Amino acid sequence: MAYALVALGFVLALNAAGAVNFAHGDLVVLGGAAAVVAGLWTGLPGPVLLPLVALALGVAGIVAARVAILPLASRPPEATFVATIALAAMIEQGLTVTMGAAPRTAPPLLGAGAVEIGGVALGRQPVAIVIVGAMLVAAMWLLLERTQVGRRMRAVSADRHMAQAVGIPVARYVVLSLALAGALAGIAGFLLGHQFLVAPTQGAGHMLKAYIAVAIGGWGSVPGALLGALGIGLFETFVSAAVGDAWASAALYLVVLAVLALRPQGLFGEPVGRRA
Amino acid sequence: MRPLGKFWLAILVLLPAVALLVLPPFGQRMAILVGVYALMGVGYQLVFGQLGALNLAQGALFGVGAYAVALTAPALGLLSVPLAIVASALIAVIVAGPMLRLQSHYFALATLALASLIHLVAVHAESITGGANGVAGFAASLPRGPVLLAIVWICLIVAILVQARLFAGPMGEPARLLREAPLVAATGGIDGGRWRLAAFVTGSALAGLAGAFSAMVSGVVSPEATGFPIMVLCLTSVVLGGARHPMGAVLGAMIAVCLPELLRDLQGAWLLAYAAATLLVVLWAPEGLAALIDRWRGVQLVPQASPVFPMNLEAVDGPQRLILDRVSKCFGGVAALQGVSFMLDRGEVVGLIGANGSGKTTLLNVIGGLEQADGGTITLDERHIDHLPPHAIARAGVGRSFQSLALAGDTRTSDIARAIATGASFLLLDEPAAGATDHERADLAGLIARLRAAGRGVLIVDHDIELLSRTCDRLICLDRGAVIAIGRPAEVRADPAVRASFLGVEQAAA
Repeated sequence: MAYALVALGFVLALNAAGAVNFAHGDLVVLGGAAAVVAGLWTGLPGPVLLPLVALALGVAGIVAARVAILPLASRPPEATFVATIALAAMIEQGLTVTMGAAPRTAPPLLGAGAVEIGGVALGRQPVAIVIVGAMLVAAMWLLLERTQVGRRMRAVSADRHMAQAVGIPVARYVVLSLALAGALAGIAGFLLGHQFLVAPTQGAGHMLKAYIAVAIGGWGSVPGALLGALGIGLFETFVSAAVGDAWASAALYLVVLAVLALRPQGLFGEPVGRRA
Repeated sequence: MRPLGKFWLAILVLLPAVALLVLPPFGQRMAILVGVYALMGVGYQLVFGQLGALNLAQGALFGVGAYAVALTAPALGLLSVPLAIVASALIAVIVAGPMLRLQSHYFALATLALASLIHLVAVHAESITGGANGVAGFAASLPRGPVLLAIVWICLIVAILVQARLFAGPMGEPARLLREAPLVAATGGIDGGRWRLAAFVTGSALAGLAGAFSAMVSGVVSPEATGFPIMVLCLTSVVLGGARHPMGAVLGAMIAVCLPELLRDLQGAWLLAYAAATLLVVLWAPEGLAALIDRWRGVQLVPQASPVFPMNLEAVDGPQRLILDRVSKCFGGVAALQGVSFMLDRGEVVGLIGANGSGKTTLLNVIGGLEQADGGTITLDERHIDHLPPHAIARAGVGRSFQSLALAGDTRTSDIARAIATGASFLLLDEPAAGATDHERADLAGLIARLRAAGRGVLIVDHDIELLSRTCDRLICLDRGAVIAIGRPAEVRADPAVRASFLGVEQAAA
């Protein structure tokens, strides 16, 4: 489910910017780091910290949009790729310098321990991740499909020039999308950070997972990205249980290469530009 | 790419010479590293700089080269270096085949997945690669120190000279078209897939060579050699130095090697500074530092001669007749073309008229292969061309100019001149007179007459009905995707259906 949040933010930024945001994985790590630091300094409980981290990373998303995405809007997408790769390297190195390379633990959302649901004992954090994830996905769906703001965001991603022509302030919506993407990344980083620790070098891994989810689910498709992320999560869980982590990752990369070779439009088609 | 001037050539030769004669062993080691990263960067310039494809496997293929040397040097000695080149190039060939059709963002992902796979093997195949500890103790039989420095820089200088020669010359223009206007490249007969394959494989071979040298310098190869940080270093150094400048890779590599020494007190901060510098260059000096230095030195790019239409047209070989038989095309539920049939002979000029949205440009796209027809056949003499890719149709003898180009420094005149220069028997001109002055229209009419005299077949789409009437042998009028009239200009203009559909509207407006 946390993958789904990462992928959701990634696809929002992708649609708004018209290019891959390579810094997205590092925004996730930044969210984890922010949670670690905020948890140490303030000692506030998880549910209070979560919105603070989301807010901070939303601001980081705005900075990313202003620095590396908007100024390059009229250039080929490769320019944005390179700029965001540089941004990603800056975040990673900045974190290494300030907090060291050793992994840290983010505070839990609801405290440790287990809850019992229907006779099955479940860890509190995984349950919290699933609940928060589902709520955010539902909220994003409502925003995109049921509000004027969401309609405009979709218009910007479908055809930037047309959106400009009908009077939508495109730049503002790109920034807004990146802020949302940053907030989602921050929450994902927070939630992942308790279970899997936070280390500066994780960014590339998060980014790759989101990238794969979006490519398999269909470029630019929000439900496709969610399905792709859930698929990757299930795939990794089951394959690594059967043959181990390394083989699971290897199998995942081979599947990606095979999908790209055989169905370059993604498993579920490419809906960009065809949405009515 | 501009040619390599004397200034840069002198730097390129003096750097290793000074390093050999003056520097202590530590400095020589740095000079070797500069050469190694520059060699990887030159290979990267081919794919990323020249063709604009974001390849994220260059770092991993560098690592493949390093491992190839580490594993085979004890048995093969220096022969392990060519083996490293072959290993990297071979992986590129196997993986590249299906990836070359992919759009940029998928190409980036595919190369990233390949790189991750290679890194995974390096870390986990412990029986072969030694796992996280890596491989050591293989370099005893290999050259090092000053000899290695000389070898590395000779390879680098040769690679740079060859690349500058090729891309300042015959390969520069096709590469620019592929990068900036793939459609124009395809309709000009350039096979983008083969270009990307050649560039990717050559670039990977250079990465393998660079990796081999890096293994010889350090004497140890660990999974870090295949890791993403190497890739980021390669990408940022090429962008920083200049992705399409012959010296870009060298400048970038010099900064990448020297900066950490200068900022040693700041520990990891040098990478931060490096990434920040790259971002600044992307934003404000997209051509890179080498081009910036050229500007400070006052070097001007050779101004391109303003394009003119060719005066002397030679007869060309090729097919004699272009035949369309009941060609149709639908977009969703809209029939853009409905059973369009006509013939175009060599030495004939035919004008295609019709209201906006009547399917004129779609027809040109279908003939040129940019769109696939849903039904009907298109043949050149006996040869079916309706299922060929655009570059193959172009080579079979159909050239094309475009309505509007997003190509920097390009004009419609040069676009038409380029289409003619392909030597195509048949030319499809899309609104060549739109926005033209009276003088330019006269030029265009003269050109069309010369094309007819040279035995080329011409199909023109335009709204200037007077120009078409003067220059064309026949007119074809489309209405909602169907041919409603075909014949001599005067006949077609007098046809009541044509007047109702097209001329009537225009006259009423006028």
